[in-house]
Amino acid sequence: MFTPGSKYFLGLTGLSVVSAILYMFFVNPNDLGVVALFGVAVAGATIAGFTLLTRDGDSDTANEAVEAAAQPITPSMWPLAFALSLAVVLVGMATRPMVFVVGVGLFFGSGIEWTVQNWANRASADAEFNGFVRARAISALEYPGLAAVAGAIIAFFFSRVMLGVSKEGAPIIFMIAAAFILVVGIAVAFKPSFRGKPVVATIVASVLVLAAAGVAFTVKGERSELAVASKEDHYNIANRECGEESGHFDHLPNNRVSMRSSVAATITVEDGKAYAQLVGLPTKVDTVTIPRSNATTILFRNKDEEVRRLVVNLGTKTVAETGVVEKVGVCTQLVEKGKENALTITVPKPSSAEQQYSFTVPGVTGEIKLVVP
Amino acid sequence: MMNHKSQLTSEKEMKNLTTVTSSRRRIATGVVGVATALFLSGCATNAPQDTWKPKGPNAEKIDALQKLVFPIAGIVGVLVMALAAYIFIKFRDKGQAIPAQSHGKPVVEIVLTIIPALILTVCGVFTFRTIFELAETQDTEMVINVTGQQWWWEYDYPAQEAQGINKPIITSGQLVIPVGTKVLLRETSRDVIHSYWIPALNGKKDAVPGRIHLLRLEADKPGIYAGQCTEFCGLSHANMRMEAIALSKEDFAKWVANQQRDYVSPEEGTLAKEGETVFLNQCSRCHQVNGIKDPSGKAVISAPDENVYSGAAPNLSHLMSRNTFAGAMFDLVTKECRSSVWGAPSEEFGAKYLEGVSESCLNQKNLRAWLRNAPAMKPMYADPAKLEKTGGKYRGMPNLNLTEDDIDKLVAYLLTLK
Repeated sequence: MFTPGSKYFLGLTGLSVVSAILYMFFVNPNDLGVVALFGVAVAGATIAGFTLLTRDGDSDTANEAVEAAAQPITPSMWPLAFALSLAVVLVGMATRPMVFVVGVGLFFGSGIEWTVQNWANRASADAEFNGFVRARAISALEYPGLAAVAGAIIAFFFSRVMLGVSKEGAPIIFMIAAAFILVVGIAVAFKPSFRGKPVVATIVASVLVLAAAGVAFTVKGERSELAVASKEDHYNIANRECGEESGHFDHLPNNRVSMRSSVAATITVEDGKAYAQLVGLPTKVDTVTIPRSNATTILFRNKDEEVRRLVVNLGTKTVAETGVVEKVGVCTQLVEKGKENALTITVPKPSSAEQQYSFTVPGVTGEIKLVVP
Repeated sequence: MMNHKSQLTSEKEMKNLTTVTSSRRRIATGVVGVATALFLSGCATNAPQDTWKPKGPNAEKIDALQKLVFPIAGIVGVLVMALAAYIFIKFRDKGQAIPAQSHGKPVVEIVLTIIPALILTVCGVFTFRTIFELAETQDTEMVINVTGQQWWWEYDYPAQEAQGINKPIITSGQLVIPVGTKVLLRETSRDVIHSYWIPALNGKKDAVPGRIHLLRLEADKPGIYAGQCTEFCGLSHANMRMEAIALSKEDFAKWVANQQRDYVSPEEGTLAKEGETVFLNQCSRCHQVNGIKDPSGKAVISAPDENVYSGAAPNLSHLMSRNTFAGAMFDLVTKECRSSVWGAPSEEFGAKYLEGVSESCLNQKNLRAWLRNAPAMKPMYADPAKLEKTGGKYRGMPNLNLTEDDIDKLVAYLLTLK
């Protein structure tokens, strides 16, 4: 009654339902995960229904199928892979989360492969037929899965290269890589003789070169300014030094168009003086008013000869444990001439006569008031 | 016998035919009824959000454009539908032979490409011109920051000497502007995407978190212009309303002066003074009243960022100078008092509006019901047991379980916030 395909999808349905129920009881009954698992169950049941109706879409094959063999008839590497994945999971639990995640991926991958192969081996006494049904059941998962793994490896090594080479060299490498892919694509499309082994050889050689470069740059490390910023936890806004004496430098000012296109105000330093402009208004202003408790983006533009940073002074606070009064503020990193840097601030408390806020640029005249009503 | 049988069959066929005919008639009657109702709904007189009644230059530009585009679109639509209906009926399957099939009529295809292209070009020229005119902001005379959150609008007026605003004003629900003044709204949102729309004054503009979007408003005459959030923003989206109040320049100056008045604490020994204490204990965690101080004389700064998901709750300074509350969903004044403001002639409107909410005009029923149990009045995510996803923060005002005694005191206190 049940076809090989329908058994697989019915099994998937049952597993999803059980997982969803366990998830509801042990994780969170209102979580999206429950919906996702029930979604998989519904999808599995629907496909199982179709496979039953269509006899796996291949009545001839179904008719030719013979009784299942009692024992597996081909050797398998999947039990070994499954055991190894369990080991990786355990190592990951004791060491790093990334190892644990990789282990879980291997655990499910090898588990599914082992299950499907075991099921296919029992489909009939005919090894060729079993291989055929195994391929039909698993190919739709294997190829995309392998492609995703290969893509991830390529992306990882490529990212190591891009983080390691100089800021000026990175775009050139990117352009060369893109041009190379384009040329190979054109060759494959227009020159039939280039298909087959030459293509495979080119791709394998490219990946090997990329892997070698990736390993080399992983060993070498990121370029100096990124390494310094990373070491100082420069991207943590709480760790930025906002004074004139700070030497932290941003060689990668934020250039995201989405952030720059709709800022509350632009603060510019020009000829040693700072001024503000509000979007939509032509005049320069000395006060910027922003809503309370709202993420607001300010764009800092340096037209001065010196490197500058924008500092947002948000009054003072008293440290509860020590009673020491500290300045509260955030700032951009140092910005070179002609560059700009966006800074997003959220101010939860209103400004007042006692607690005044302002924008300043160390080493430059002109304080811009920040009003939070 | 045979005749009798044949007569019965014939009667049965007739009956079936009658049933089909009456069924079609019922469907036709229904369709005509719905179409008539839709058509007649366009004749509504009390429709404050009517897009065909512009009350300012920006809305007039949109109106002029739609008066050009809608007839063209209407004629094209009717022609296409009529032609399709004619073809469906004329060439329906009646068992006739399939006519000879042919492909390609260059002349027809070129003509049918050129005509729509010309129509779109004409519409496009006027549309682009209007879009660029509406986007003009360089001659702005006044700026107001508009911030949307679930489910109300906050307006803050930066200091602007030209408008007599020498310190920031913050209000909610009702946007107050001077007539004949080019007002630039700088819109943003604290939580999800909202959309600001006062149909009588301009088109709609989305308020998006992290972004500043610009919308210009200008009113020709004093009056109240109703609006509605037009981007689905959650449970009470339909209840997120707003009103633009246009005042003459003299009246606007009075309104500004009133908004900038310092806070005056109620007199000792009054019910209102007791209400101030209730406010400090129950409301000031989220709601700010500028200038209010605790019994020790320290300025009280609310902390909505710690209690509300969006990080803000309406600032209640000068609450009784507004006519509405809770996202302009409820009237603060009684029906009679509100009618007298809405129905006032232009020259008297400002004075009526500036009267604010007196004790006799206060809509006690609405305000008390809100203080008694706000979530029962307006759907909000304010059940303390269901705040896991928002880190324990409310979206909307929770039920504070105030006693009737506290409500009496609070109402007396809120009445002093004029």
